[in-house]
Amino acid sequence: MAAQNLFSVSIFFIVFRESLEAVIIVSVLLGLVEQIVHGDTEQFSAPQITEQYQPANNNGEITTPGEEESDATIKRRLIRKLRMQVFAGAGIGLLVSFALGAAFIAVWFTKASDLWLKAENLWEGIFELIASLMIFVMGITMLKLDRAKAKWRVKLQRAFSEQHVDSGVRTGKWVLFILPMITVLREGIEAVVFVGGVALGQPAKSIPIAAIVGLACGLICGYFIYQFASRSTLTIFLIVMTNLILLIGAGLFSKAVWSFQENAFNDLLGADVDDSGGNGPGSYNVLGSVWHLDCCNPETDLSWGIFNAILGWTNSATQGSVLSYVFYWLMVVVALVRMKFKEGRTKLLWLESAAGTRRRLASEKQAEDTADEKGSHNLPLSATESPVISEALPTEITQ
Amino acid sequence: MWCRQLLPLLALLSPALAGVQELWWNVTYVQNANPDGLFERRVIGVNGTWPPPPIEVSTNDSLLVHVTNNIDQLATLHHHGMYFNSTSWMDGAMGVSQCGIPPGQTFDYVVPINTSGQVGTYWAHGHSNGIYVDGLRAPLLLHSPNETYGADYDAEFTISMSDWYHQEQPALSKAFINIANPGGAEPIPNSALVYFSQNGSYLPPIPGSSPSPVTSAVGFNENATLPFEPGKTYRLRIINLGAFAGFYFWIDGHDMRIIEADGTDIQEQPVDMLSVSVAQRYSVLVTARNDTSSNWAIHANMDTTMFDKVPSNINPNVTSSITYSTSSNLTILSPVSSYTTTNDSALVPIDIEPAIPPTNTIQLAFNFQTMNDGTNHAYINDVVYNPPVVPAIMSALSLGENATSQVAYGPYSFVINYGDVIDLVVQNGDTGKHPFHLHGYKMQIMNRATQYNSSDPSLNPPLIEGQANPMRRDTVAITGGGSVTLRFVANNPGAWIFHCHVEWHLESGLAVQFITAPLLIQEQAQGRVPAFMFEQCSAIGVPTSGNAAGHASATDLSGLPLGPWFQELGWLAKGIWAMAGCVLTTVIGILTVVWYSAMGGTISEEEIEEQVLQRIEAKKRKGKFFGLLKKKT
Repeated sequence: MAAQNLFSVSIFFIVFRESLEAVIIVSVLLGLVEQIVHGDTEQFSAPQITEQYQPANNNGEITTPGEEESDATIKRRLIRKLRMQVFAGAGIGLLVSFALGAAFIAVWFTKASDLWLKAENLWEGIFELIASLMIFVMGITMLKLDRAKAKWRVKLQRAFSEQHVDSGVRTGKWVLFILPMITVLREGIEAVVFVGGVALGQPAKSIPIAAIVGLACGLICGYFIYQFASRSTLTIFLIVMTNLILLIGAGLFSKAVWSFQENAFNDLLGADVDDSGGNGPGSYNVLGSVWHLDCCNPETDLSWGIFNAILGWTNSATQGSVLSYVFYWLMVVVALVRMKFKEGRTKLLWLESAAGTRRRLASEKQAEDTADEKGSHNLPLSATESPVISEALPTEITQ
Repeated sequence: MWCRQLLPLLALLSPALAGVQELWWNVTYVQNANPDGLFERRVIGVNGTWPPPPIEVSTNDSLLVHVTNNIDQLATLHHHGMYFNSTSWMDGAMGVSQCGIPPGQTFDYVVPINTSGQVGTYWAHGHSNGIYVDGLRAPLLLHSPNETYGADYDAEFTISMSDWYHQEQPALSKAFINIANPGGAEPIPNSALVYFSQNGSYLPPIPGSSPSPVTSAVGFNENATLPFEPGKTYRLRIINLGAFAGFYFWIDGHDMRIIEADGTDIQEQPVDMLSVSVAQRYSVLVTARNDTSSNWAIHANMDTTMFDKVPSNINPNVTSSITYSTSSNLTILSPVSSYTTTNDSALVPIDIEPAIPPTNTIQLAFNFQTMNDGTNHAYINDVVYNPPVVPAIMSALSLGENATSQVAYGPYSFVINYGDVIDLVVQNGDTGKHPFHLHGYKMQIMNRATQYNSSDPSLNPPLIEGQANPMRRDTVAITGGGSVTLRFVANNPGAWIFHCHVEWHLESGLAVQFITAPLLIQEQAQGRVPAFMFEQCSAIGVPTSGNAAGHASATDLSGLPLGPWFQELGWLAKGIWAMAGCVLTTVIGILTVVWYSAMGGTISEEEIEEQVLQRIEAKKRKGKFFGLLKKKT
C-alpha cells in the first residue's frame, strides 16, 4: 500500500518516455551543432535545402584555408558555445515544463481532490479510463520513436535554416537556444498533460519520486542509446518499453471498468457499504463475477498491489474487467495493424495502402536506378532525380 | 365447513367434563394504526381491531380458535410453547404442520390445554412468513386454579413488549434477503412498543393523553401505565412478542423476583433487571411501595447490539410508568450504567425433572454467509432451511413405512424415535445473540459455553451429567460465539420446527425440523386430522402427500427448493478460462507490437527524411499560398 502510494508505475513510464524523446531531440541538435560548425551542411544537396541554407553556407565560407589551427580552436569554442546554448535552451524548457506540471498538480490536489472523496470508485474509474486511453496513444506512438532521430534531424535543420531566411542573421545567433527550448518545452508540456491525466486518480505523493526516477532513467537510457547503440537496438528497447506500457494501460482500462462496476455495486448496497470491502463472500457482487480469491487483494496487500499496478491484477475479476482487458489488447492489435498498413509497410491479404503502393513503386524505381547507375555511372542524375535523400549518398559523394 | 361445527363437539366429547374456550379470530388488516405515535401504518389485527385481544384460558379448559384469514396472504396461528399432545398439525407452523390458511378460509386450532399439564405465560402469533411482525400476536395466559405462587400476589398484569417497524414485513424481508444486503443487516426497528393487559383486555391510555384513534383503547409506551396500590404485590407477566430486538426490563424504585420463565414455575429469585429475548416470557413478583408520593418509571430498552447501526432518529428505549396516584409526579431514575443478562441456567424449576442421560447428540452449528446468489442466508450444518413443498407432518402421515427415512423430509430434518433423549448442541458461529425455540417441547438447559471452540474450560465447560433439576424452557438465547446444550425427551410425536425466533433469521433459513416417531404420528392421527387441512393445501396447489418434494419415495427429492449454497471461491473453470483468454490476447498483443516494429517493411532513414520533408513542404506550400494571397490583397 505504502509503496504504491509513493511510486506510480504509470507516471514513471510516461516521464521516462517523454524524457527519452527530449534526449533524442537534444542529441540531434548537438549533432547539428557540429555539422554547422564544421561546415558539413553542404551535404544537404537537395536543391531546396541548399537554397535555404545559404546564410549558413556563408558562415562556413568565412573560414579560409591556411589558418587551420586557429580555425580549429575557434570551431571548438564555437561548438562549446553553441552546445551551451542548446543545453541552456533545453534546461530552461525543462524547468518551465516542470513548473507547469508542479502548478497543475498543486492546483489539482489542493482544489479538486475533494471531488472524488464521496464516490471514490466512480472518480477512480474515470481517471483510470483517461489514463489508459492516454497510455494507449502514447504506447502506440512510442513505437515510432526509432524514427524520431531522423525526423527531428530534418525538422530541426529546416527550422534552423528558416530562422535565417525569415528573421535575418541576428536571430540566428539565438536559434540554437530557442529551438531546443521550444522542443523540450513541447515534450515537457506533453509529459505534463500525460502525467496530469494519469495522476488524476492517484495520490499526490506518488508523483514526484516516479517522475524524477522516470526522468533520470530517460536521460540515462537516451544517452546510452545514442552514444553506443544502433537503431535496431533502439527498436528492441522500444518494443520492450511499449509492451510494458501497454500492459499497464490494459490493466488500467480493466481497472476502470472494474471501478465503475464496484461503484454501481456500492450504490446498490447504499448504507450497507461499510459491510463490503475485504475479501470473501459479501465483499463483491456475485453477479458477473468471473473469479474471486479469498486472498491476494491488491488494495490491501502490497505485493499484489504492485502486480495490480503493472498487470492490472485483481482478486475479484468481473466479466467487465476481463472483457475490457481483452478488448484493450485487441484495440492495440487493430491499431498497430492499421498503422503498419497505412504506413505502407505491410499488405492486408491482397490489399495495399496508398503509402504501400508509393513505397513499392519507389523501391522498384530505385532498384531500376541502381541497375542504371551500375550501367552509366550517372551520379548527378541520381542525386537530383531521386526523391530519396539518403544520408549515405552525400558521404559517397564527398569520398 | 362441517368441521367447524363438528370439532368443538368432538373436543367436548373426548376427555370427561372439560370446558372449551372458543374464540373466533377473523384475521384482518387494520388501517392507519399508529401505536407509537410516530407513523400511521397498516397492521394485521383480529376482528378489525389491533392489537389482537389477549387470550386467557383456565387450565381446566381446552382452547379452540377459529382463525379465518381475511388478508391477502397466507396466514396461520401458532400457540407458542404449547405441546398439542401429539397433534402437531395444530401447531400452526407453515411448511411444517400445515400449508397456510388461504385467504377466505378458516382453520380451527384446537389447543388441548386441559390435558397438556401446562400453565403460565405463553403467546400466540402468526407463523406464516412473517405476518406476526405486522401485528398478529397476543399474550396467551394459562391460569391454573392452584397457581404455585397464587397466594403470593394480589393481582397480575401482562406486559407486552415488542420492537416496531413502520414498513410492512414483506417489504422488509425483500430488502433483507437481497443482493443489495450481502452483509445480512437485519431491518432496524423504527421504535418499540410496551403495552399492558389484565383479565383479557388491554389497559387504556393515561387519561388526558391523546392517542391515535385506531388504537385509542390501548395505552402504549409513555401513555401506558400500571395502576398500583400501596403495599400490594403484583405478578407481572413480561412477554417479548417482537421480531428482532431483545429487551432489558426494569422498574425504577421496585424490586423484582422471578417466579416463572416460559411457563416453567421456578423458585423465587430476586433480579434487578431482566433480559428478555424475542419470544421469551418471565413472570416477576413486584411489591408495591407503601407511599403514593411518586409514580415510577418502567423501562424497556431494546438491546441494540444486534442492530447494524442505531439511527439517530430512533429511540430504542421505552419508558412507561407505575401510577400510585394521578396527582403524583413521575420519577425516572438516572440511566443504568450497564445492562445485565438474566442467567436462566441458574433458575430452578418448582416441578423437579432430573436430567436423563442422552441417547442421541445432535450438533447444530449455525452461522450466516453471503451465498452464491449474492444474498445473505443463515445455515445450520451448512444447510439453509427452506420450507419443504409438502409440510413435514403430511409427509409423515403419507409416507407409510418410508416415513422413518430422514432423507425424505429434506436435508434440514432429523427423524427421532419415541423416547429418545436428545441433546442438541447448538453452536453460534455468529457474533449476535440468537433465541432458539423448539416447538412442542420444553428443553432442559444442560450446558452453556461462552466460546464453544475454546479449550479453556472456563469458557467451554464440559457437560455435567446427573443434574438433578436443570432449568427448562421453550426459547433459549445463545450468545455470539457460544453454544448451548439443550436436552429433551422425545415423547411428543409430531413434526416440530426448531428455529431462531428472530423473524428475519427464520426467513433466511435458521431452522431445522424434528420428526418425532413418524409411525406413532400415523397411528395416533387415525381419524383425528381435520379434512380442511388437506383441502386448504389443495386450494393453494400444494401436494398433501409424499416426501418433502411431494414424491411417494424415501429418497427422490427432485424439485425440492434448496439453497442457496456457499460461494465457491478461487480458480473455477470460468476463471481459468478467462485468465487464459487474458494471457492469450496479451501475448497476441505483444507479438503484434514486435511484428509492427521489427518484422518487415522497415522504413529507412532516407525514407523518413523524405516523408518529413514532404510534410513540411506540404505545409509550407499552403503557407506560401496564403502568404501570396495576402501580398496580392
